[in-house]
Amino acid sequence: MSLMLTCPVCGRRNGYEFRYGGEDKGPRPEEDGLTPRAWCDYVHMNRCAAGPVKEWWFHRDGCGSWFTTWRDTTTNLEIQPPEDSE
Amino acid sequence: MFFRTRRLWKKPDRLRSRYDAVIIGGGLHGLATAYYLAREHGMRDVAVIEKNYIGFGGAGRNTAIVRANQRTSENLPLYKEALDLWPVLTRELNFNLMFNNCGNLNLVHSEAAMKASRLNVATAQFHGVESHLLDAAQVKEMEPALNIAEDIAFPIHGAMYHPPGGVVRHDAVVWGLAKGASAHGVHIHQQTEATGISVENGAVAGVETRAGNIRTGRVLISAGGYSADIIHRMLGLTLPISVLTIQAMVTQPLKPLLNHVVSSGAYHVYANQTLKGEIATGAHMDPWPNYTTRNSAHYIKHQAEALGEMLPCLRGVRFMRHWAGLADMTPDMAPIMDGNDPVRGAYINCGWGYFGFKSCAVVGKHMAAFMAGGECPEILRPFHLRRYEQHRLMGETAAVVNYSPDN
Repeated sequence: MSLMLTCPVCGRRNGYEFRYGGEDKGPRPEEDGLTPRAWCDYVHMNRCAAGPVKEWWFHRDGCGSWFTTWRDTTTNLEIQPPEDSE
Repeated sequence: MFFRTRRLWKKPDRLRSRYDAVIIGGGLHGLATAYYLAREHGMRDVAVIEKNYIGFGGAGRNTAIVRANQRTSENLPLYKEALDLWPVLTRELNFNLMFNNCGNLNLVHSEAAMKASRLNVATAQFHGVESHLLDAAQVKEMEPALNIAEDIAFPIHGAMYHPPGGVVRHDAVVWGLAKGASAHGVHIHQQTEATGISVENGAVAGVETRAGNIRTGRVLISAGGYSADIIHRMLGLTLPISVLTIQAMVTQPLKPLLNHVVSSGAYHVYANQTLKGEIATGAHMDPWPNYTTRNSAHYIKHQAEALGEMLPCLRGVRFMRHWAGLADMTPDMAPIMDGNDPVRGAYINCGWGYFGFKSCAVVGKHMAAFMAGGECPEILRPFHLRRYEQHRLMGETAAVVNYSPDN
């Protein structure tokens, strides 16, 4: 399904210009005391929420920026970050 | 009257307050599990809880292809058993599932893919599944409508031919399993959304639904593409899954021209001609996770271009209908079936991507044994969730095309 995304540099562009970079899982875990499970959680595991999701995107066919944005996975529309409306 | 219709399955009275087992998801995997729980394991009170109607999700949206041409020794025997089950189920359910084993032709478009197919064929032959490697001339002989010219985007080098595969009418499987399950006393509750699972002392105690709460010691989440979200909300488990919308469409009905299920990894297309004469085709997945189940102009155009090159006689033919479903993709292209970990009595069945239809009956059979006895059957053991943290991913990615949002 079609998608439009707002690149912080280039503005609103067609979704096919971007590469999906995964759900936002916070910072990369520290190497010290890292367990296989914690690493697996960071690398593979997703919440797969049907609804608002914060995720990483890469403007592959554009300026090359990596950025995070919020999207509703049930409508495929970019949305305001929930913290903005609070 | 001549056309008096009789219900195939009973409409259950009210949601009971207690069941021996509750299955969340009235799709093929859920219905098959319920059917085998009641039929093979004598479980008296089994409930299938479905938010919409049975067959709403992948069960009614797939393109009905069945095959056993997987790559690895863990996966192939499961699909082989599934393929052998269709004639058995047809008799057992006394319902025509319209199994048409016309055979599958997986087109190969490069020497590297030829090499991969050689491995695939060897695996199949090792497991007693009929599979052959064909060159381009043999492909043309078998399927004269195909274009084997060398001046197209992806010229055909050969194909992997898998005669026992084919097509099964997916709606018939939904209706047949619902009929069979109901006849063995299973309650099918449609329009009933599960909202939560209650856990006491590390074990499942019940399921909360919009129609009331149920006490039960066993629950299976088997909701196709919706499973990952439900499992995270109700059990707090994250999964190595990305849920992608996968698109499909049919052309106007045509004279018979395609004798096999034809698929191409390079063109990202599969096609088969239905008994009505339509070319049912699809395979494109959105490159970003979403639950929209909507088509896109981007892909309808791509599909027309690909079909026009592979099967030039289809140029100018119109698409009549299009639709989409969900594919919950795992990084190793193999499903996740697990239970009693970390919550006793909680079972999960997900990650079936775009291959959940062909496996539904056999998974139901073995998941039922798992739920009834609490012991994971040998054939399902390799599919446990912990394989990802153990870095024991399966080799199915080597089989055809590797679909993930990370491509």
